Amino acid sequence: MIHKTLLVDPAKCTGCRTCEMACSLRHEAKCSPLLSRTRVIKFEAKGLNFPTVCAHCSKPHCMTACTQGAIRVDEETGAVVINEALCSGCRACLTACPHGQVGFHPEKRVAFKCDLCGGDPNCARQCPTGAIKYSGVDQFLMARRRALLARSIEA
Amino acid sequence: MLYGWTGKRLRVDLSTGSVKVEEIDGTYREKWLGGRGFNSALLYREVGPDVEPLAPENKLIFGVGPLTGTFAPSSGRTTVTAKSPMGSPPGFGDSNMGGHWGPELKYAGYDQLVIQGKAAHPVYLWIEDGRVEIRDARHIWGKLVPEADAIIKEELGNADIHVAVIGPAGENLVRFACILNDVYRAAGRSGMGAVMGSKNLKAVAVRGTGAVSIARPDEFYSICAGIRERLRKDLMVQMLYDQGTWLLTMPANYEQGWFCWRNFQKGNHPDARLLSGENHRDNYLAHREGCFACPISCGRFSRIPGGRYAGETTGGPEYETLTAIGPRVGLLDPEAVIHNNKLVNELGMDSCSCGGAIAWAMECWEKGLLSGEDTGGLALNWGDQELVDKLIKMIARREGFGNILAEGSYRAAEHFGRGQDYTMTIKGHDMSQDDPRGLGFAFGIGFATGRRGGDHLQGLPCLELTGAFYPGLVKKILGTDEAEDRLSPVKKPEMERYQEDLKAVGDSLTQCTFTHSWSFAVQPEDMARLLSAAAGIDCDAEELLKTGGRIVHLERAYWNRLLVGRLEDKNPKRFTREPMPDGPNKGTVFPEDELIPRYYEVRGWDGETGFPLPEVLKDYDLGDIADELEIYRKKYLDKIKMSQS
Repeated sequence: MIHKTLLVDPAKCTGCRTCEMACSLRHEAKCSPLLSRTRVIKFEAKGLNFPTVCAHCSKPHCMTACTQGAIRVDEETGAVVINEALCSGCRACLTACPHGQVGFHPEKRVAFKCDLCGGDPNCARQCPTGAIKYSGVDQFLMARRRALLARSIEA
Repeated sequence: MLYGWTGKRLRVDLSTGSVKVEEIDGTYREKWLGGRGFNSALLYREVGPDVEPLAPENKLIFGVGPLTGTFAPSSGRTTVTAKSPMGSPPGFGDSNMGGHWGPELKYAGYDQLVIQGKAAHPVYLWIEDGRVEIRDARHIWGKLVPEADAIIKEELGNADIHVAVIGPAGENLVRFACILNDVYRAAGRSGMGAVMGSKNLKAVAVRGTGAVSIARPDEFYSICAGIRERLRKDLMVQMLYDQGTWLLTMPANYEQGWFCWRNFQKGNHPDARLLSGENHRDNYLAHREGCFACPISCGRFSRIPGGRYAGETTGGPEYETLTAIGPRVGLLDPEAVIHNNKLVNELGMDSCSCGGAIAWAMECWEKGLLSGEDTGGLALNWGDQELVDKLIKMIARREGFGNILAEGSYRAAEHFGRGQDYTMTIKGHDMSQDDPRGLGFAFGIGFATGRRGGDHLQGLPCLELTGAFYPGLVKKILGTDEAEDRLSPVKKPEMERYQEDLKAVGDSLTQCTFTHSWSFAVQPEDMARLLSAAAGIDCDAEELLKTGGRIVHLERAYWNRLLVGRLEDKNPKRFTREPMPDGPNKGTVFPEDELIPRYYEVRGWDGETGFPLPEVLKDYDLGDIADELEIYRKKYLDKIKMSQS
């Protein structure tokens, strides 16, 4: 079975960073971009915004890099999750992740990353424009293909 | 542990290089809320009537509130406050900006930043959490806003810092220079950029790695999520997302007749649809931009696909800008408007006052009050884009005739001793592009009495503009739905008062005005619930509105202390004496003589002077300034007598 996952459409992102607030408030009970699992990269002068999210890779580099066995895949959601209690704070996973999606908690001194909120990610739920979607991959791609074709049919 | 607020004020003295962190205690927080309230209170106490606006004694204050940098919708705004160089006499000034700079200040650990004194040479401020550095800016002085932003990010080695910066206009002390953050988000009005320039301060760069602590996180999350859901379904929000504030062009011109054509000579033009929201969206919109945590995203990013400005891109414009440097100066070409917007932003000027100064000069030219001798040989014909482009640059660099316009239309008219009747100013400060002969009578009250002169944001009384889209709302607040009619005088003083108090709350928390006074999806009760859950206090809507009223009264007292009151609470003559010549509101004038006295009554202000009465001040817990103000009231009575003799 292929799980639903987080998929982004940068063209829809307005750079408001609501996702960062929803995420940090839910996971850390406070509002801080640094504690958010999802981050928006902004190029203000060019008016470009890119939401970045964890891909929850099939062969997770972070998991391979972890020497403590602290990272595992949640069978139910497919999320690659960190067990804080087992994390030694060695930061090997931060460097290993090709997408820069593992953070380091400044107070707990452990690695942290997206856990898909147990199957109902707050970032996607709260994104005002649908730039971040929690979706089946095929469904996401088909919608994309359809939108592209619809545009050329209209034109 | 403190929730919502950080409880810290950072004070930097550029003359001595000293940096201090001060506590903002609980009593102060409760009394002034944050953002605009914090700033106004500090300005009143520390910048007295004798301070010159461009002298080192003036203070430039950046304030954010208890909701700034949280999940609360549209909560990332910042208020910048100082004594304004625009007014006559120079008076209260503040300006509110979106973007992402304010939340960053909060994450760095501060509710307020006060900059005083004057640096010996150009500098910029680098705030990285608890570390504050005053850095040399001589190599950035003279740079355009986007250049300065890029250089600072490059040399600090961090692309994620947020920078508030002035352009050449601020350096050259153009009286209506602005401050921009994130390149295109401006604190535009009342000349805050000139104050910054007078301090030799090019920029304030901020990086914060902290957090805003939330007292009741689960409750706060669900209140925010609920409001977000309401905003998502709200028609006004959907329209703002779709077309930005450009959406106003069509109703303003074709239905309501307040489209500012040629310095307010009339309120409509048959070809205004060239500047419609549809035209912009379909042909020039590159991207929609959201300020921090904002689900509305009214912000635009424009791209000109072809023609003489092919390939140019810029943040914005929004409605006030597109009309200021468009129809106000006789232009309806969207490409010219987008290009001019890029110019004023990059040079760092308030588009409204810049367009206002140019429009004034063009009308004087048309009426034969200015000649080539006055303008250095320039012919000032309406709608001449080449000229507008040139004048914008000349103003920012204070070259030739531009040097005179850089003083604002009010002082330019004084300089020539001509054309005073065509300065569309209040208290010396240019109007935004809003005409009470069509926009509405509550707006007209706000213009006349507003805390920063001619400006629609005193109360933004959209109850008379969009209130009818919310069935029962106007009736619930004002007891009658007659007030939904823009051009009815019924309950307009009460409406303006309500909206002013509400706006003061929003600006202080901080929360964007469009969430609670254009869209009315957010009600005062929601704001109270948000604040209560975030800060762990227990407040209600009534208390909040009272606090808003306190802020409005203190700002009023700031003007009164400068001997400004009833005599100066006047719209430009055009609005009260010249009936709208054609269009849907043909024949309308703003009934100022009827409405302003009624507004004073509703406010509890003295009808003779327009000063708040001592018992009203006491009721707002402002008893401590009542005695002082009484002294000024007596002086003002003398001023009235003088004006009559």
